[in-house]
Amino acid sequence: MRRTPPPWALGGLGLAGLVLVLEATPRVGLVDRRYLPPFSAMVEALAGQAGTAEFWRSLLETLRGWALGLGIAMVAGVVLGLVIGGVPVARTATTSTIEFLRPIPSVALIPLAVLLFGTDLRSTLLIVVYATFWQVLVQVLYGVRDVDPVARETARSYRFRPLTQVRTVLWPTALPYVLTGFRLGAAVALILEITGELVIGSPGLGRQIAEAQNSGAVPAMYALVIVVGLIGVAVNAAARATERRALRWHPSIRREIPA
Amino acid sequence: MIKFRAAVAAASALCLAALTACGGGEADPDASGPTPVKVGVIAIVDVAPIYLGVQQGFFTEQGLKVELVPAQGGAAIIPAVASDQNDFGFSNFTSLMVASSKGLGLKVVAAGAASTGVQGMDFGGVVVKADSPLKTARDLSGKNVAVNTLNNINDTTVRASVRTAGGDPKAVKFTELAFPNMLAALDQGSVDAVQIVEPFLSASLKAGDRIIASNYVDAAPDLSVAGYFTSAKTAAAKPDLVKRFTAAMRKSQEYSNAHPDAVRKVLLTYTKIDASAAGSLTLPAFPAEINRASLDTLAKLVQDDGLITKAPDLAGLLP
Amino acid sequence: MNALRKGVQLLGLPVLLIALWWVATVNSDNFFWPPLSEIAGTFRETWFTGRFTADVLPSVGRLLAGYGLALVLGVGLGVAIGSLPVLRAVLEPVLEFFRAIPPPVLVPVLMLFAGIGTTMKILVIVSGCVWPILLNTVEGVRAVDEVLRDTARCYRLGRRARLLRLVLPGASPQICAGARQGLSVGIILMVISEMFAAGNGLGFTVVQFQRTFAVPQMWTGIILLGLIGVLLSLIFRVAEARLLSWRNE
Repeated sequence: MRRTPPPWALGGLGLAGLVLVLEATPRVGLVDRRYLPPFSAMVEALAGQAGTAEFWRSLLETLRGWALGLGIAMVAGVVLGLVIGGVPVARTATTSTIEFLRPIPSVALIPLAVLLFGTDLRSTLLIVVYATFWQVLVQVLYGVRDVDPVARETARSYRFRPLTQVRTVLWPTALPYVLTGFRLGAAVALILEITGELVIGSPGLGRQIAEAQNSGAVPAMYALVIVVGLIGVAVNAAARATERRALRWHPSIRREIPA
Repeated sequence: MIKFRAAVAAASALCLAALTACGGGEADPDASGPTPVKVGVIAIVDVAPIYLGVQQGFFTEQGLKVELVPAQGGAAIIPAVASDQNDFGFSNFTSLMVASSKGLGLKVVAAGAASTGVQGMDFGGVVVKADSPLKTARDLSGKNVAVNTLNNINDTTVRASVRTAGGDPKAVKFTELAFPNMLAALDQGSVDAVQIVEPFLSASLKAGDRIIASNYVDAAPDLSVAGYFTSAKTAAAKPDLVKRFTAAMRKSQEYSNAHPDAVRKVLLTYTKIDASAAGSLTLPAFPAEINRASLDTLAKLVQDDGLITKAPDLAGLLP
Repeated sequence: MNALRKGVQLLGLPVLLIALWWVATVNSDNFFWPPLSEIAGTFRETWFTGRFTADVLPSVGRLLAGYGLALVLGVGLGVAIGSLPVLRAVLEPVLEFFRAIPPPVLVPVLMLFAGIGTTMKILVIVSGCVWPILLNTVEGVRAVDEVLRDTARCYRLGRRARLLRLVLPGASPQICAGARQGLSVGIILMVISEMFAAGNGLGFTVVQFQRTFAVPQMWTGIILLGLIGVLLSLIFRVAEARLLSWRNE
């Protein structure tokens, strides 16, 4: 096998390309720098932001809301997913309801959230949990459906107890899907956390972005957007690492162990 | 199956718990200490007096411990106040009129931002590019104008400008665009004119754009644009609390009107407006009293535009 | 008898939930929780007196255009990225970066390049629903069994044949899972895209109702969004069943 540079170096290359484009586009006049300032101006604004206690507090608030929302959605999604997916009757009985509730845009629930919880973090939490829950649930349901019918029948004929069936048959097959659900859910939760903060005004980086927008502080706004993007990259890296640890035996991971 | 039923029961119980948990009222404030009050605000120039008033201790004097809860616009603040999540809130008067005409019990308790009443020198206005053929509000007939929210105070007052200038207000096309995105859209020619407020207005004028109408000035002399309100329930149940809030708010408004430099300074604490922009932008007026006549006019305009079908009960809404 | 049972299974829970909602709100005087009977009563007059063609159809049209584009982009790029580890390593952080940016803050940037018209709104939809499709395609392509791949190589299947006979079918369950998520994200973005610079559309109308405190009408909008979601999902399910029919044979 040909030696290739390590993934982090290649990833760095990709990011460097992005930085270059961001710096060059306004400089060559492709866009007005009043609306999309060059990357260096964003970095400068970021340095200014990083010096304020407000920035760090907002960062923590965002991360706390994200982790809380993701945690609730994961637990609910996996448990309900295994129950619904594992019991055929439950699956047919809930399909139409799930299909109806899932597409309701979480943003349409914002007035309800505000009504219930005002503008504090619980409003955003509701939206985050709602959106993330379906991501996880759908993945788990797909995973359960992927279970080998023969394996399932075997477990059933050996009269494995329901929990043992879940542990030995359902869970190993569904695990890659659960982890995909976790990774997608982590990203969706972050997006909804920021969107909620932005639209409702609950505390966090999203509210800082809204304040920067309302103040015409364009570089500061992009600086905060970059921070949000970087959190996303970090979240994905962490989710991937988790996936790799948990799925060492699975073909998609097995193959990547360097020869 | 039994398991599934149990799960459904548990899930519905959870949902019900979530729905009812928030129904409980706030705990009674400690009788000895200052009363905590939550006020929903939008972090923009208009609410500078309340930030300044808190800073100057005007609310502490009245035995109030104010927590300012920033939110994005009246659409989020009004429900929060109506459902007693916030004790008071800040909103423009058109939103308040529309909300109360739909049956939400609201009561205005203090004046907020108002037009300066000076043509060309207000905190908001209709702006075009320097080389635009549009000269006055009359020319806006048949043109595309950006406002931050459709069917609200800004399109209503722009229509008033067009009407005053002798144009056809019904022929103006409005596009909804957030203030921060307006100038870029104007530059691109996506819209012909934008109705914009500070700090974007002075940034736009500095970039060479031209102001063709002061829509708040045209709508009514010294138009009251926004104010502080509470729910009708709170107004009836806690008249003393409302009285203290009103007194502190009035003092904050008076102080702000007398000390514009202090206002410019406090802007730096809760917005991200940069210091030079904060030093040069046009501040709104911060009157101590609501201009009732201007709101009668505004109510008529709102009704003419069809935002509400019957005349709003201003006597019930206003103090 | 069987059809009856199926009908009960399909409609039992929704009917139960609607009944619960109806009973819970029947005497509701809460402004934000109007009685369900009132919501049902305003439904027809709200949506079927002109708004259906003026608002609903344009929204759905933009959604389908954006979703279709996202499918093509997501699967195309996903197959490329999934089969080329180097490309994946280069692009992954950048893609993750853009995916983590909430669409509402991306909208102003898109406006700089695409104006404020229909193109912008379609791009907003694409920018959101391409990610689950792309990511799942990458996952699916990666997960195609190495042994199968080697076998295909041994039999000297051409690149095109490998793609059509091995990679795409192998990845299709994952791609479908992604496409299904993309669809629901797309509906969310249809609403978000209409929060900016819109003059018509379903999302726009719901937000207008919300802002003018027309609460029963707002509820009808949420319900209509749900119904459209169900309809699209049914269509999707039919398409998916056809695509994946070989797996169950």
